[in-house]
Amino acid sequence: MNELIPLMVIVPMMAALLLSAFSKYEKFIRILALVVAICLPIIPLLSNYGLHYFGGYQPMTDNVTNIIYHPAITYSFNFMQQIFIGMIGLLTFLVVFIYLTKYKNVSGPYLFLLFMGTAAVTALLLTDDIFHMFVFFEILALAQVGIVAASSIDYSYEMALKYMILGSIGSPIMLLGIGFLLAITGTVNVTDIVAIIRGGLIDATSPVFLLSLGLIFFGWLYASGLPPFHTIKSGIYSKAEPHGAALLQSFTVISMISIVLIMFRIYSTLPIFEVLIVLFSVIAMILGVSMALTQTDFRRMIGFLAVGELGFIGLGIGLGTQFAITAGLFQALNEIVITALLFIGFGAIVNATNEVDTRKLGGLLAYHPKVGIMLLVGGLAMAGVPPLSGFQSKLMLVQASLSCGFPELSILAIMVSIATFVVFVKTFYSMFLSPKPHDLEVVDKDVPKAMVFAMFVLLVVIIALGLFPDVVTSGISNYVGGLLL
Amino acid sequence: MMAETQLAILFTSIALVVIGLYAAIFVDNIIKKIIGISFIEEGANLFIVGIGYKAGGIVPILTPDMDPTWFASHASYPLPYGLVLTSIVIGASTLAVMLALVMVLYRKYGTLSTSVMLADTSKQEEYNE
Amino acid sequence: MKLYDQIFDVVKKFKKLFSPGPVTNADVSGSLTAEIFIIVSIVIASLLLRHISVLLAGLVTLILAVVLITSIPLIPKFKIEQEDSLNKMLFYAIITLGLIAVFLYWGGLLV
Repeated sequence: MNELIPLMVIVPMMAALLLSAFSKYEKFIRILALVVAICLPIIPLLSNYGLHYFGGYQPMTDNVTNIIYHPAITYSFNFMQQIFIGMIGLLTFLVVFIYLTKYKNVSGPYLFLLFMGTAAVTALLLTDDIFHMFVFFEILALAQVGIVAASSIDYSYEMALKYMILGSIGSPIMLLGIGFLLAITGTVNVTDIVAIIRGGLIDATSPVFLLSLGLIFFGWLYASGLPPFHTIKSGIYSKAEPHGAALLQSFTVISMISIVLIMFRIYSTLPIFEVLIVLFSVIAMILGVSMALTQTDFRRMIGFLAVGELGFIGLGIGLGTQFAITAGLFQALNEIVITALLFIGFGAIVNATNEVDTRKLGGLLAYHPKVGIMLLVGGLAMAGVPPLSGFQSKLMLVQASLSCGFPELSILAIMVSIATFVVFVKTFYSMFLSPKPHDLEVVDKDVPKAMVFAMFVLLVVIIALGLFPDVVTSGISNYVGGLLL
Repeated sequence: MMAETQLAILFTSIALVVIGLYAAIFVDNIIKKIIGISFIEEGANLFIVGIGYKAGGIVPILTPDMDPTWFASHASYPLPYGLVLTSIVIGASTLAVMLALVMVLYRKYGTLSTSVMLADTSKQEEYNE
Repeated sequence: MKLYDQIFDVVKKFKKLFSPGPVTNADVSGSLTAEIFIIVSIVIASLLLRHISVLLAGLVTLILAVVLITSIPLIPKFKIEQEDSLNKMLFYAIITLGLIAVFLYWGGLLV
């Protein structure tokens, strides 16, 4: 059923518009949001692999040069897209579920932002068109700003405006890069651009081509929150509502991998491309984890950790072999799940204590044992402790960098894992195990059931992926093999 | 003739981008900063419009009385214009959201200075009781 | 004795980093870990230069190690540069853009 491919974008987008338009009718939007949220993870599972041409414009063959041109915006759907869209759908379902059960009055516009973000990342994953990618990248940025500004946390407007201003530098620069590519190739379809470059029709060493790489790369740094954008990324995570932050980090990871895969297809002939990616990934790992170690606000700390973990994904893709890219993508999948678990879990603590400073917390294990233990497992998974999913992907990354002849990167990756472990143990100790301060009042003794349910589902995914990584890695490996041809 | 017009377009667009980047760093007033940032956007749009330019070109609409080969060699390239239209719409909505946020923050702080309005807030919020 | 005094001073400087508010044992030890982590990881990362030239890698690693160790504590300096002020973020973003463009234009074909 190839007709389902465009529906993966259209359903959440249509739902978003309807929710915003009928936000007066409380009952209607509750039901609609829940139904659409349940549909989201199911659609990619039912759909067949294949291509979808918008408007039905089939590819045309040039009779003289035998080059195939794609006039339509093309969506390609494969195992990699299936697994990531399924995961983002699951996460959106859990987040919407938490939101609907947590608040008495649900807001249509807020649900609009959540669904719009999901539609945007789905389109980013599916698209084979570089300008289409840019459009959804901008829509995603607007949705992210909205999610941050809609939270009731102090200084969230300031953070949203900072993110917006940085974004409106990052995205026109990316557009300029796309313009450079359009100028030398005359098309925006990635498959066509790759065919033109592989066919030697343009000079791959010309300064225009190199500069287009630099400009698109800068836009990618903004989308993925690698340095110099790591401070603002961790900032917006800490200023969003916890369930919103869980979704925001998954948006970041997805936009990172989808843009980098497009860049990889276009620029992989240039060795400097891989050098750049590895360079920024290493800087992200060092700065993210070392900043996380010095934070006292635990939401900010998870934000910096999430940025540090992004370095692992970049490392895998920068190494450029089939095994390394598979490891990077698998790490991306794990990170989406694990970081979402951590954000939701720590959000439950904020809910119960109204406090975000680790220095003022303590002794919470007696009050919230379930949340504490699930958070512990999540943190161990992030640090890469067997048999959890983080361990499998990090092990693959270490092996990949060893087999590529970069033992330094392996050492660095292991060191970052250890530092992540230190961050997590330190925070877990001061929040859950250390003696409870006298002035700390645990206001809300019950954590919302929806949050516990969401954490449990994510925990099951983490353990399942840790025990049976082959289910995912073999499929991703096939996809990457097709990419490298 | 052809090259001159196109070069002028390209130089203007790059100049707009550079002016915008300058404003983003060195101007303190938030409204002026946002104006500078929208310069970058317009520079990128102008660049893409410039790609599609063709000296003496015709509007890329194929009417039945035209010869397709003649049309193909004389029409300007239509794809960039379609792209720029989308990008202008996006730029306008981004600008609107930014200015709305500035309005809210101006009511809170009573100033438009970036170094006051968007300074580091982590110290205030950590121990504010 | 100068280096010894400096190392001793580090903890005092960390106390300032966390003010206002109490400084707990966990926070200071976390910052110390970060300090050591930053030095070691930057030195190890600089070893990657050996793929360009072994001599260069050796020199850079030694110089970096000496410079980093004599300029402890690094974390307060890093933290000031990475705070939430928009002006600092914009400055670093545009500097990075410039560096990428220059690096690609003149160095793009060397690697």
